[in-house]
Amino acid sequence: MVNYGGDEVSALVLDIGSSSTRAGYAGDDTPKAIIPTSYGAITSPDGDVQMSDSDGNPTAEKRKVYIGHSGPSLWRANMEIHNPIADGLIQDFNPIPALIRHAFEDTMRCSPSEHPVLVTEPAWNTPANREKMAEIMFEEFQVPAFYIANTGVLNTFAAGKGSALVIDVGQTMASVIPVVDGFVLRKGLAYSGLPQLVYAQARHILTNPTQARPAIDLTPHQLIFNKQPVELNALPIYTLREDRAAATTPSWRSWAENKEVEEWVQSVAGVLDQGWNDQSAAMRPPKQYEFPTGYSTWFGAERLTVGEQFFWHSPQLMNSPGAPRIIPSLISDSLRACEPELRQVLMGNVVLTGGGSLFTGFADRLANEMMRTFPHTKIHAPGNPIERRYGGWLGGSILASLGTFHQLWISKEEWQEHGSAIVGQRCK
Amino acid sequence: MASGVGVNSACLEEFTNLKLRKKTDNGEILKYIVYNLNKDNTEIVVEKTSASGDYEEFLGDLPEGECRWAVYDFEFQKEGGIRNKLCFFMWSPDKAKIKQKMLFASSKDALRRALVGIAVEVQGTDIDEVAYESVLEKASKGN
Repeated sequence: MVNYGGDEVSALVLDIGSSSTRAGYAGDDTPKAIIPTSYGAITSPDGDVQMSDSDGNPTAEKRKVYIGHSGPSLWRANMEIHNPIADGLIQDFNPIPALIRHAFEDTMRCSPSEHPVLVTEPAWNTPANREKMAEIMFEEFQVPAFYIANTGVLNTFAAGKGSALVIDVGQTMASVIPVVDGFVLRKGLAYSGLPQLVYAQARHILTNPTQARPAIDLTPHQLIFNKQPVELNALPIYTLREDRAAATTPSWRSWAENKEVEEWVQSVAGVLDQGWNDQSAAMRPPKQYEFPTGYSTWFGAERLTVGEQFFWHSPQLMNSPGAPRIIPSLISDSLRACEPELRQVLMGNVVLTGGGSLFTGFADRLANEMMRTFPHTKIHAPGNPIERRYGGWLGGSILASLGTFHQLWISKEEWQEHGSAIVGQRCK
Repeated sequence: MASGVGVNSACLEEFTNLKLRKKTDNGEILKYIVYNLNKDNTEIVVEKTSASGDYEEFLGDLPEGECRWAVYDFEFQKEGGIRNKLCFFMWSPDKAKIKQKMLFASSKDALRRALVGIAVEVQGTDIDEVAYESVLEKASKGN
């Protein structure tokens, strides 16, 4: 199976993000399996319910877990939605084996026990977390070899650089990661839950009335029995699925509504490239959007206030202690922690990545913000959305496909001999 | 994190010749060396050595759509005297394929560590970043 000289190691690459889990073969340019990281679970009041096949957790005997594309997005009575990731890190390892099994075995139809597996990790991952991941891979999945690689470094390398300032905007976290000669400069690491605030703000905009429109009803399509076509701006006419109302859990409802907000943000929201200005905001063309209820309207300047949250907060919000740091603050905090000589190198090599950065106007605005303080800024932002969204996975895919990389894998024998300590030694 | 790619012994030999100004068989003194990966992507090899003092010719050896490494014996005037500094180039144009970028970036360390005595390091993604003036600016900093 393993071939030294050539590039045939048939390794698997796994990248678990807060919104989606990406899995695929090393050497491919896109992941084969892209499944939601959130999962549904139904806890039965009695113990008679049979355990789900995909549920690897013996303590949750009364719990049935639904993972994948037919997981959280299908309505089920009393199904709660959970997500194992918090602040970019895996907080709950219980559903992780089931998630990995679903990605590799159910979606890709391959057995991880026959392939080396490269897993990615965020720059601020803890040693305990990576060792736990190694343990799951070796003990649960019996992988022949394992490696864990930092997404910050993978993104730097994928941009053809040894040193770079990686700006990674994901679904829940925004981070600025200085990478120098292939290593993350830990002291310069800066991250915050900014995207969560942006989505909360978008939801706030939608669910509150304006002069031009009423508050928007975010009822997801799963709860709508039927609807009638209505004129633009007219109130929606639809009937709810009353049969589902009682058994819909608050966590499922909020998950589904957030999906609607995300979709709206992705198709309509944007950011002005030169900073907020009422006039230029009014000059931007409005965009139309139709919600699952059938209501549709045009969104003008308000769609641009959403992206503004990435770059500017009111002084009131900036000074409140719990508020997530905005992108310019993350960048300046990160640079302040780095030596002055390094700053120039980093600013000359900025790498923009993450699905959240695909926001309309984001790269231009970022460039303008950075030029103000550092005129020599050069931003590398892959135009190909796949490269941007799955940059970490893609970097891992290339690395794991190299014949020469073989010597860096942690083999099962090494794991058995040295235990978890080898993970920290080998994967730097 | 590294790719595990090796360094051919000729890489260091030519670098030593350049550093020590050793005359080649033709009686020339090396000015620059261009490094590339071999076909199987397993080893870093010397692609070209040149004694040409023409900086434009050196730039011509950095292909538009492919990555390379290079060492250039950079000569410049400072405070009335002639100075020399060994510059290491990591050439990774935006147009290059992502696989090659990844390979070169993750293998750079192996080569860079083997070359002792480099004073300036240049990371270039477009021709402006490796232009004579940009390198001169970097080289004339410090001593």
